Amino acid sequence: MPRALPADYRSKVEKPADFDAFWGDALRQASSIPLEPEVVPDPLRTSGDIETFQVFYTSIDHVRIAAWYCRPTRRAGRAPAIMLLPGYQMDPPIPKEWARKGYAALSVAPRGKLRSNRQFNPGYPNLLTHNIVDRHTYAYRGFYVDTWRGIDFLLSRPEVDPARLGVVGSSQGGGLTITTAAMRPEVRAASAGAPYLCGFVDAIALTHTYPYEEINDYLRLYPERRADVEETLAYFDGISFADRIACPIIVNVGLQDNVCPPETGYALFDRIGAADKRLYPYAGHGHDAGRVRHTAVVDAFFARHLQDAR
Amino acid sequence: MTNAAVHEYWQQALAELARCPACPEIESLALRSTAFATLYGVRLSSLGPYRLFGYLSIPKGTGPFPAIYYAPKYQSVLEIIPQGTANVQRSRYVTFSLAGRGQRNADSPYAAMFPGLLTDGIDNAASYPFRGIVADSIRGLEFLLTRREVDAARVVVAGNDMALLTAALASGATRVVTAPALFYRTAELAPKTQGYPLEELNDYLRLHPARADAVRRTLASFDLVSLAPRVSAATLVMAGAPGSLLDAAALRPMTTALKGPVTVYESQQSLYKDGLYSERWMAEQCGIADVQSILPEHWRD
Repeated sequence: MPRALPADYRSKVEKPADFDAFWGDALRQASSIPLEPEVVPDPLRTSGDIETFQVFYTSIDHVRIAAWYCRPTRRAGRAPAIMLLPGYQMDPPIPKEWARKGYAALSVAPRGKLRSNRQFNPGYPNLLTHNIVDRHTYAYRGFYVDTWRGIDFLLSRPEVDPARLGVVGSSQGGGLTITTAAMRPEVRAASAGAPYLCGFVDAIALTHTYPYEEINDYLRLYPERRADVEETLAYFDGISFADRIACPIIVNVGLQDNVCPPETGYALFDRIGAADKRLYPYAGHGHDAGRVRHTAVVDAFFARHLQDAR
Repeated sequence: MTNAAVHEYWQQALAELARCPACPEIESLALRSTAFATLYGVRLSSLGPYRLFGYLSIPKGTGPFPAIYYAPKYQSVLEIIPQGTANVQRSRYVTFSLAGRGQRNADSPYAAMFPGLLTDGIDNAASYPFRGIVADSIRGLEFLLTRREVDAARVVVAGNDMALLTAALASGATRVVTAPALFYRTAELAPKTQGYPLEELNDYLRLHPARADAVRRTLASFDLVSLAPRVSAATLVMAGAPGSLLDAAALRPMTTALKGPVTVYESQQSLYKDGLYSERWMAEQCGIADVQSILPEHWRD
């Protein structure tokens, strides 16, 4: 039987009634913890045109978070800033490319990632199901907040224009872009590629590849916990966050994506609250979601919203 | 560095490895086992001695089965099978993925940084971590070949440069899938890019210009062009897109030096098209006729 069009797919995700209260509480807890930013010059990664720093700050549960921070050496006044969010198993990159485009660029390593794993380290595979039956301790509660605290770091920098903040990422970085744009109104533009963490319960039925397969593994061993798992995931699903997004946003998906099913990308896009939103579907592409072609679209999008918006 | 010096460098490493017993420990992992395959965590020793970790998946049913050995990658995370691969691939192949020293699950006492590993200690060939990582990768292949479930005539070694280096320096690989990224004319190509991982070398030499000769000497022992003639397995070379740093034209000195049958595939800048080609090539090489059944859902016809 031919596969149904992904645009016609209807997600099973239902936003919990107390969703806003749950995350409002997490934000309140986080904001009560001093950020204590440390900015350490990294001469090895610094070149004539780009200054590179290792950054550390404190997040919820007092977990110390690492990040890479790059900025153009030559700046005329306050710069627009981009926060780059990482994929599930990738090591956060040093965002020199973004700095070369004129942005102060922060690449965050949320808890459990390399350099942020001293206090929390469930490992890979495992992160996706760590404490998945309890939304108050589920791995992604702190993980999400770690990225939101990255916005606090950028706002603390005198060289950053607080009115020109963008967020970008693909795969898990795409999902984190959604949650950050939803929860931090300071974000003025967002670009999410092949968004992961969106439509969890849809994805585990639509595809059987890792990392989503971690959830299927878990439910195969503990089938009696399915209701608890689904209850938790509803609080963490990008689709539940989407109606809070108000900033301009673009989303790109690959129609042959074998990691994050395109059906979930369409379902997410449908729920995004922003009036200024656009979906870029790429036929003949998988989890790259047309990255090579789409890079120019992303660059133009941020230039319009962050560089021309003075 | 002469070919004889490269030969001597690896002879010494292989001799040290041979003196180090593997001492495997194998533990069943119920969480990742399915109706069609059982997953095991494997610990084994390599040169040093250094304790490694890998994931071994054995199909249910009567073997022997073709095998895919996923050689250590250039990232901190060790995957059971590569992200996006259909889990049902494990129903048809024995798969074994190994964390080389420095990667997660093999990061004690040495925890590698990414970026960082490529140039860590690169000015001393004798202690360069990649000497150990290549040995680790060979040890992983040796372990896989001890398994009675494996059909020794159908063993694919897949990965980046590490796949080719492993096939060059050890016996047992009957097929190779390689996507060079680290050790193809590294010193020559790095100045032409600002992209990682090769940018690591630019960073390093900017800070330590006096070490350039020592770095070149180390890299000479890893260069794929000089080691390619040792590879007799059928090889699929996953080249970059036309015009990129590692496209088919750039890789030609290596591909023409390989001794076995060679297929060169140029990236179409689509993980779908590139991945599908690789999956089909491996299946065809291993005599798996119904490749559709082991593809991810969104790649099937």
